[in-house]
Amino acid sequence: MRSLVSFLLLALVASVQAISSSGGNRLLVILEDVAEKDGYSKFLGDLEVPYLYKPHHLLIASTTGRGFDIAYETPKSESLSLFHLGERSYDHVLLFPTKAKGLGPNLTPNVLLEFINAEGNILLALSGSTPVPSSLVSVLLEFDIHLPTDRQGLVVDHFNYDTTSASEKHDVLLLPTPGPLRPDYKHFFSLSSSGAPDGRERAGERSGVVAFPNGIGQTLGQGPLLSPILRAPSTSYSYNPKEESEAVDDLFASGSQLSLVSAFQARNSARLTVVGSADMLSNTWFDTDVKKVGEKTSIKTLNRGFAKAVSGWTFGEIGVVRVNWVEHHLNEEGLSNASNPKIYRIKNDVTYSVSLSEYSWDKYIPFTVPANDELQLEYSMLSPFNRLKLNPTISSEDSTTYSVSFKLPDQHGIFNFLVNYKRPFLSNVFEKNTVSVRHFAHDEWPRSFVISGAWPWIAGIGVTVTGWLAFCAVWLYSAPPAKGESKKKQ
Amino acid sequence: MAVAEGARLTPVELLVSLGRNPTTKTLLKIIILVLIATAAVASRLFSVIRFESIIHEFDPWFNFRATKYLVANGFYQFWDWFDDRTWHPLGRVTGGTLYPGLMVTSGVIYHLLRFLTVPVDIRNICVLLAPAFSGLTAYAAYLLTNEMTTSSSAGLLAAAFMGITPGYISRSVAGSYDNEAIAIFLLVFTFYLWIKALKLGSVLWGALCALFYGYMVASWGGYAFITCLVPLHAFVLVCMGRFSLRLYVAYTTWYALGTLASMQIPFVGFLPVRTSEHMPALGIFGFLQLVAFLEYVRSAVPSRQFQTFLYIGLGGIFGAGLLGLVGLTAGGYIAPWSGRFYSLWDTGYAKIHIPIIASVSEHQPTAWPAFFFDLNMLIWLFPAGVYMCFQKLEDEHVFIIVYALFGSYFAGVMVRLMLTLTPVVCVAAAIAASQLLDTYLQYKSPEVVDNKEEESTDGTSKKSSKQSTLRSASQPVVGIYTVLSKAFIAGAMTVFLLIFVQHCTWVTSNAYSSPSVVLASRMPDGSQHIIDDYREAYQWLRQNTKEDAKIMSWWDYGYQIGGMADRPTLVDNNTWNNTHIATVGKAMSSREEVAYPIMRQHEVDYVLVVFGGLLGYSGDDINKFLWMVRIAEGIWPDEVKERDFFTPRGEYKVDADASETMKNSLMYKMSYHNYASLFPPGQAQDRVRGARLPDQSPVLNSLEEAYTSENWIIRIYKVKDLDNVGRDHAAAASFERGHKKKKAIKKRGPRVLRVE
Repeated sequence: MRSLVSFLLLALVASVQAISSSGGNRLLVILEDVAEKDGYSKFLGDLEVPYLYKPHHLLIASTTGRGFDIAYETPKSESLSLFHLGERSYDHVLLFPTKAKGLGPNLTPNVLLEFINAEGNILLALSGSTPVPSSLVSVLLEFDIHLPTDRQGLVVDHFNYDTTSASEKHDVLLLPTPGPLRPDYKHFFSLSSSGAPDGRERAGERSGVVAFPNGIGQTLGQGPLLSPILRAPSTSYSYNPKEESEAVDDLFASGSQLSLVSAFQARNSARLTVVGSADMLSNTWFDTDVKKVGEKTSIKTLNRGFAKAVSGWTFGEIGVVRVNWVEHHLNEEGLSNASNPKIYRIKNDVTYSVSLSEYSWDKYIPFTVPANDELQLEYSMLSPFNRLKLNPTISSEDSTTYSVSFKLPDQHGIFNFLVNYKRPFLSNVFEKNTVSVRHFAHDEWPRSFVISGAWPWIAGIGVTVTGWLAFCAVWLYSAPPAKGESKKKQ
Repeated sequence: MAVAEGARLTPVELLVSLGRNPTTKTLLKIIILVLIATAAVASRLFSVIRFESIIHEFDPWFNFRATKYLVANGFYQFWDWFDDRTWHPLGRVTGGTLYPGLMVTSGVIYHLLRFLTVPVDIRNICVLLAPAFSGLTAYAAYLLTNEMTTSSSAGLLAAAFMGITPGYISRSVAGSYDNEAIAIFLLVFTFYLWIKALKLGSVLWGALCALFYGYMVASWGGYAFITCLVPLHAFVLVCMGRFSLRLYVAYTTWYALGTLASMQIPFVGFLPVRTSEHMPALGIFGFLQLVAFLEYVRSAVPSRQFQTFLYIGLGGIFGAGLLGLVGLTAGGYIAPWSGRFYSLWDTGYAKIHIPIIASVSEHQPTAWPAFFFDLNMLIWLFPAGVYMCFQKLEDEHVFIIVYALFGSYFAGVMVRLMLTLTPVVCVAAAIAASQLLDTYLQYKSPEVVDNKEEESTDGTSKKSSKQSTLRSASQPVVGIYTVLSKAFIAGAMTVFLLIFVQHCTWVTSNAYSSPSVVLASRMPDGSQHIIDDYREAYQWLRQNTKEDAKIMSWWDYGYQIGGMADRPTLVDNNTWNNTHIATVGKAMSSREEVAYPIMRQHEVDYVLVVFGGLLGYSGDDINKFLWMVRIAEGIWPDEVKERDFFTPRGEYKVDADASETMKNSLMYKMSYHNYASLFPPGQAQDRVRGARLPDQSPVLNSLEEAYTSENWIIRIYKVKDLDNVGRDHAAAASFERGHKKKKAIKKRGPRVLRVE
């Protein structure tokens, strides 16, 4: 009976986790007109609370939708407010392109920045055909994401376009699904040929294409918080369709400098993704047949899977690393090994462990470090004294424990055990545990008689003491000279 | 007996006869000494009465904090204390780097009183320790003076002088819980025991002297004064041909036991055999062995052989010893003289080489009025007393002469060494004053001018001293005949003494009784107004910041922050790490962009500055700022330059003419941030430097104001975290102020491509 109850409880917990991303499930979708949402019904449907979901149907939750509680607003709406009494009203915001030049008083750059600072996530869908609202331009500039001048631009590629739909304008780009930026990064946007987002490294099997119709490109600054998810092919460029001139003299950007889908992760792990083309999220381009230049057969786009991966990453469903606990203790025989003591002594043997989980769509799984990467512990005061690789020791169903044992260096002070693991697409891991490291106490040094170098000195003391005692004895017991003699001497 | 005689004696004669009775004399002396001690304690209580029972100034706050730690954690914990709340992140091995004598004394008194079921707050013990010990110091001065002269009035006068001299009161008012509080007593008492041991040639007294020397070492770094003065005295005696077995016994006993005792203090450790400051004591120890050996040889061999032996042996050994010393110093086994010591010989040395020492006001050379201010009439009685010592010139008088010579020199070099001069001034002045009074208060006029007569009136035998005085200094005995001159001199002396008491009280009350934590000022109507900004701000820190929030401030305030606010600090008044202090100096004197990474690296949460511009409080950080610059320049001469903080005309200005470096320095910005908004436009004024400030307050990007005390004396700033979206602070602050970027600023030169 008891086991059944606990199983039910467990299932309840699991389902509550299952229907929300790691950062909450309140999603606000902002559209020019609420009616426009039908154009994105597949994408939004994927996000929405599943139809079948009911609290008592524990085990059939999250079969189709991903459990977001979606609210729809327009920028002009009076009731639109990202904050209520200083708290976030929504966990995530999804902004579709709007036609107005500004976004109104509820979505000023300050509000959007504050939303990011309050750990809210934003997915920004732009379009090549409508100018980007100026408040978005300036907030993106704060993140060092640059849009083309005049807030408008169109990415074209004369070598990778879809021949069926854009044989004239060449503005529907067909791109292979992106691989990892660097071999030691974890990557979430490679899709298997079936279209399911696939975190594993399977770069070799990438076969499907993603359609990027009518999109605007961005360039990214040098900051480490930015990373491109989808880069334009080397033959593409961006131009302003409003300018009539034939030749483009001042090119905004071209080739792989042009980022089509860009990711920004703030220091508090809040995420902002800029998708250059809102159309790629629309029903039209989910599972459409497209034909690449120079190819005979048409293939299906993988936009649905890509949209899932991008939105999943932005809304904290993947790539979120959780530190379950941090523990360090003395690793010496005969001494207490209580957890997380405030003070150590120099030259103590110490074990440090940290348990990490990674959120993957609906549950926490053990976090594994990519093959070419290392999770490191820094033992530092002002600068690192040790930088040690943390090795996985215990792996459970939902977490991996990384730990390392080492001897503290011969330096007292206030030290930090620091795990500073910041990688693109993974939420930031920054764990600082401060301990004091004291010097040897007066009774912790080896005694003088066990130090061989001290033996001559000890012998010296012994000789002096015995000699003095012997002298005293001789002095005291030797007979005093006769009185007569001493008088004579004087 | 007194009653029987009283019938036929006048009251004056009765009193005199009472004074002649040895028992009543002793009783009177005891009563007088107790009264002196009471006066000494009472005159030190101004600050407690006027303000409250509070710890003063800077260093006492550390001693107080350490005492609390000792009382709370016990002696062994205190001995091994690693303090992680100072010198962040280095920490300080406090147990091994302090003089524990003071704290242990208070701890013992505390536990004793607890044992006697007297519940006393440890703070009150700390506050009142210095006055209590001043009473003991007066008694020690009495004992020491009694060794110098036979006149018992000299001792009592010395005790009275010692009790109320401002030179000593300056470091021992209630609340001034510093090492000097007990160290001066120990200094005087050790000297007394040394004289006693020397006079008697007694191992017992020598051992007692060593014991108190050990206590002194445990209490104050100034013990080096004893370590050098006693061997010097011995050396002078040997040079005067006064080597005796008494000297040998006293010195060797003191040195052997005293050095062992001093080495028990972890902070001192092996210094007595490894540093130059301690070498004289070791050298004289060896020298005395040699002299004693020579004495023995002289008694054993004929004088002619002895001559050659003397020249060869002594010369050889002295040469070898000197060579050895030089060699060991060059080889690094013996540390050369420390910087503080050099600055004693060359007052300009510290200013050039070690600004951190020169920056302390009490390390400045003494201005001459200070002598009169601190010692009043004693300063002109002092040479007379030294002259009297020359007249008698026994071993102990040589000591007073040597002490007077060196004490005067050091007091002239460093303000705070006035303290070590004061005891000898009191003793010498008391000798002179008592001689004067003894001569002029003689009731009977001398009938016949005769040596014998004079001696018999003195009572005790003076024969031994007569024989050893210098012939040139032997005085003809002069008697005073007329009552008028007696009355005149006695009256003048009384007036001087009264003025002295009045002066001491005035100085104590006005100059030395301010806790400096609390400032007092007068309202227009004459009533007292307390300015309590320091405690207000420290209390704010204590109540509003995280317990491990690190506070960066100039080192002067480190102990107070640790003691009153109980927050970790980067640097404090224990200036053991010059580089760390220079780092803080660099952060304070650099631009924000330079300072921020430094503060970030040191995990600084708050920055505290002292600003006196509103109130006209001159001891603020802008006035100390050049020292920060100099200390930082000592370590980073390329990054911080003192010259840049002056105007092209070489002026140190804070107004609109201030140099750009000055205006951009963190210290300047923190001091004047938002200051102009207090005033109507165009009237912002700094009342310390008398400067009119620009209307535009400096802009701070990486710090934000957290707290400013009532009179703006303390300003506390919070260090901002890194910007959440990766901008620099200037950009983030400009965005906050509403300057939205419309376009990315075009950089010149080729486009920077992003490479993954």
